[in-house]
Amino acid sequence: MNLKYGFVSIDDHVQETPDLWADRVEKKFRERAPRLVAAPDGGEQWVLDGRLLLDGRAARAGALMADRNEDPKRWSEVPAAAYSPPERLKAMDSAGIDYSVLYPTVAGLAGETFGRLQDSQLEIACVRAYNDWLIDEWAAASERFIPQCLVPIWPVEAAIAEIQRAVSRGHRGVILPSLPMHLRDVPHISGPEYDPLWAACEELGVPVCLHAGASPELQSPLPPRIKPALAAALDGATKPVSSVFVISLYSFSRVLLRHPRLRLVLAESALSWGMLYLEWADHQFEHDGLAREGYDLTPLQMFKRQCYFNAWYDPVAPFTDYIGADRILWSANLPLTNSTWPRTQETIERCFKGVTRAERERVLWKNGAELYRV
Amino acid sequence: MQIKHKLISADSHAGFDRNDFTERMAASKWGDKIPHIIETNKNGKRIDRWSVYGEPKRNDVANCPALMGEPFPTYPKLYEEIPKAYHDPKARLEMLDKDGVDAEVLFPNPPGGTYYEYGDAEFELDVVRAYNDILAEWRRVSDRYVPLAIVPYLSAPEMIKKELERAAAAGHRGVNLMGQMPEGLPHITDSYWYPVWDVCQALQLPIHFHGSAGLSAGASVRKWSGYSPRQAHSAQTATSAVTPAQIVPQFIFSGITEKFPGLISVFPEAGVGSLNYVIAACDHEWESRHLWTEGVLTRPSEIVHRQMYVNFWFEAEGIKLRDDIGVDNIMWESGFPHVASYYPHSWREVERVLKGVPEADRRKMQYENAVRLYKIDAKLMDH
Repeated sequence: MNLKYGFVSIDDHVQETPDLWADRVEKKFRERAPRLVAAPDGGEQWVLDGRLLLDGRAARAGALMADRNEDPKRWSEVPAAAYSPPERLKAMDSAGIDYSVLYPTVAGLAGETFGRLQDSQLEIACVRAYNDWLIDEWAAASERFIPQCLVPIWPVEAAIAEIQRAVSRGHRGVILPSLPMHLRDVPHISGPEYDPLWAACEELGVPVCLHAGASPELQSPLPPRIKPALAAALDGATKPVSSVFVISLYSFSRVLLRHPRLRLVLAESALSWGMLYLEWADHQFEHDGLAREGYDLTPLQMFKRQCYFNAWYDPVAPFTDYIGADRILWSANLPLTNSTWPRTQETIERCFKGVTRAERERVLWKNGAELYRV
Repeated sequence: MQIKHKLISADSHAGFDRNDFTERMAASKWGDKIPHIIETNKNGKRIDRWSVYGEPKRNDVANCPALMGEPFPTYPKLYEEIPKAYHDPKARLEMLDKDGVDAEVLFPNPPGGTYYEYGDAEFELDVVRAYNDILAEWRRVSDRYVPLAIVPYLSAPEMIKKELERAAAAGHRGVNLMGQMPEGLPHITDSYWYPVWDVCQALQLPIHFHGSAGLSAGASVRKWSGYSPRQAHSAQTATSAVTPAQIVPQFIFSGITEKFPGLISVFPEAGVGSLNYVIAACDHEWESRHLWTEGVLTRPSEIVHRQMYVNFWFEAEGIKLRDDIGVDNIMWESGFPHVASYYPHSWREVERVLKGVPEADRRKMQYENAVRLYKIDAKLMDH
C-alpha cells in the first residue's frame, strides 16, 4: 500500500449515476429499478418501483455544495466529486485521504433500499448491478477505492451466492442492513437461519459492515414542520447512537459467539456512547447472572474480539484505554453534509489530542488496512 | 433535613399501597375504575394484580426485588408478600439508613406513572391528582423524600400547568415525563406544550425522562424468541443508554432550550456516558450545518452544561470523564428498590465507582448537586 497522508477513511459514499441500473439490469426490470426522473418542482428525483428515494433530491452531497444544507435538486447540480472517480480522488487529496471504503447512496446509506422490495428477483437484479458497477467504474479507476458489496437480504442462499460472486470480483466488505427483519418479512437476524451467511463471511475473510440508519424506526420520530436543516441535524445526532440496539442484539443473541471469526464494523456509529454501552452491557450481564446461561465471553470481550466502532468527530483519548485503539476506525463520511470534509485533517488534529502516535496510526489507517486487506 | 450519610439517591421508586388511590378518589364517580389490587389466576394459582380503569395490569403487583432477598431477583406475586417498607414511608426510612442514604427522589412503581392509556381525560386527571397527593404525603412524613409529580397528558396544557402548580405547592420538586407524547397529541417539541415548559421553568421544576422514557415502545428492535427472560432483560436494559441521545437533540434543535434556558432536564437510569455522545454529536451537527444561521444560537455543549443532568450507579469508566460531562451535572442514584439497586450495599458500589475521585468532586456527585437542584433544605451533620 502507498500512504501519503496516513489515513484510510472507512466510511464514504459514492453517488450512483443515472445510467447505473438503466445499463445493467435486464429489460424487464428497467422501469422498476432506480431511475432519475423529472420532479413536479422542476428538479429531478430518484424513483424505485414507484417509491421516492433520497427525500426527492437528485443526490446526497452536502459537503461538496456551496451551501452545505442544500442537497442537489437536479443532476446538473451534483458536484462531480460525488460520482466521478477521478474527481473524487482530487477531493480525497485535498483533505488528506489515502484510501476510501465505499458505501452507496441511492441504494441506501446503509445499503437498505433494496431490502424493502417485496420482489426478491428485482432486489437481486438491483444489487448485482450495483456490485458490478462499483468494480467496473470505481475499483478499476484506482486501488485507492475499496469496494464493498450489497446483498439481497433473503433467501440466505441468494445472499451467500452474491457475496461469493462479489468477493471474487474484488469486493472487500459486505454491507448488510443490520436488522433485515425490519425491512420486510424475513427471519430474525439473531436466529440460526442466518448462520450460513455468517459462516460464508468468516470463510471468505470479509468484514460485515453494519451502517447506522438501516432502521430509521430506532430513532425518535422527527417533529413535523421543523426546518429541513434542523431536521437533518436531528437525524444526524440520533442516527449513530441507534447502533446501540444493533450491538446489543448481535452480542446477547450469541451471533458473535457462534461465529468467532466474524468481524463486524459499526459504520457511522460514532464513538462517545460506546464505552457507556459496553460497561453497562457487562454490568447487566453480571447483574442478571448471564455467566450461568452459557456465554463464554462477556459483551465487552465479544466486542474486543470481533467488532469496531467508527468515529469521525469524537475525541479519541478518553476511550482508548477501555475500548482499545485496535477497535476504533476513522472516516471522513464524504460527501455527506455531516462529513468533516474539507477540514478532515483539522478535525483529526482536534480529536486525537493526547493520543499516542502508535494508537493514532492504529485508528487512522492500520486497523482499516488490515481489515480490508489494503 | 440533616445530611448524615452524604449520599442522596436521585432515582428511587416509591411504592403504592392497596388503599392509596381508593382513599383519595370518589367511589361514587369512578367505582371499580380506581386503581386497586385484585386477585386473579395464572395457571391455577392465585396472583394479585393492580387493576386500573377496570382492567388488570400485566406487570407484577409490586416491583421491589431489593427488599425480597434470595433468590435474586424475586418479585412479589401476592399482596401479603410485599414488605411494608415498600409502600410505607415511615417504615422505609429505616431502610434508607440501613443503606446509608440520606434522601431519595421518588419515581413511580405499579400501577405506574401514566394513566392516559384509557383515553379518558377526566379519569386521568383524577388519578394523577391522587398520585401526586400520595407522594406529597410521603414528603409530609419526611423531608428525606423528594417527590416528582406526574402530569395529565390528555388535559389542556393550562390544566397541566395548574396541576403542577398545585403539586409544587404540596412539596413536589420536579416532574416525571415521557420522551414521546401519547399518540394523537402534538409532538413533544410542538409549541402546544410551551405552557408546561413555562411553568416548569418558572417554578424551577426539573423535568425527568427516566430509563427509556417510553421511547422503547416505538424505537426498539423486533423481539426475538431465542432469549431467556434474563437475556432479554440484559439486551433491553442497557439500550436505555440512548435515551438522552434521542431526547436532548430534540430539545436543542427545536429551539426549546433557547426559549426556556432555565428549563432543566434530568436523565435518570441512562448512564452519564450518554452525555459525552450528546455533546460530541450535537456540536458536530451544529458546526457542520452552521445551525447558528438557523436559529440555534448557543453551542449545544453549552446548553447541555447549562440544562442537562445525568445519574450514575455502576459506571466506573464513565465517571473518569466527569470533567467533560460536567461534574456539576452528575448525581448518584440507587434505583431502590428495583433490580438495579445494590441495597443494602449501595456504599460498596459508590466506593468502587468513585475510587480515586477527589473529595470535592465526590461530594458534588454524591449529594451536593442533588441538594442544589431539588432545593433540599440540608444541613451537614457535625461529627
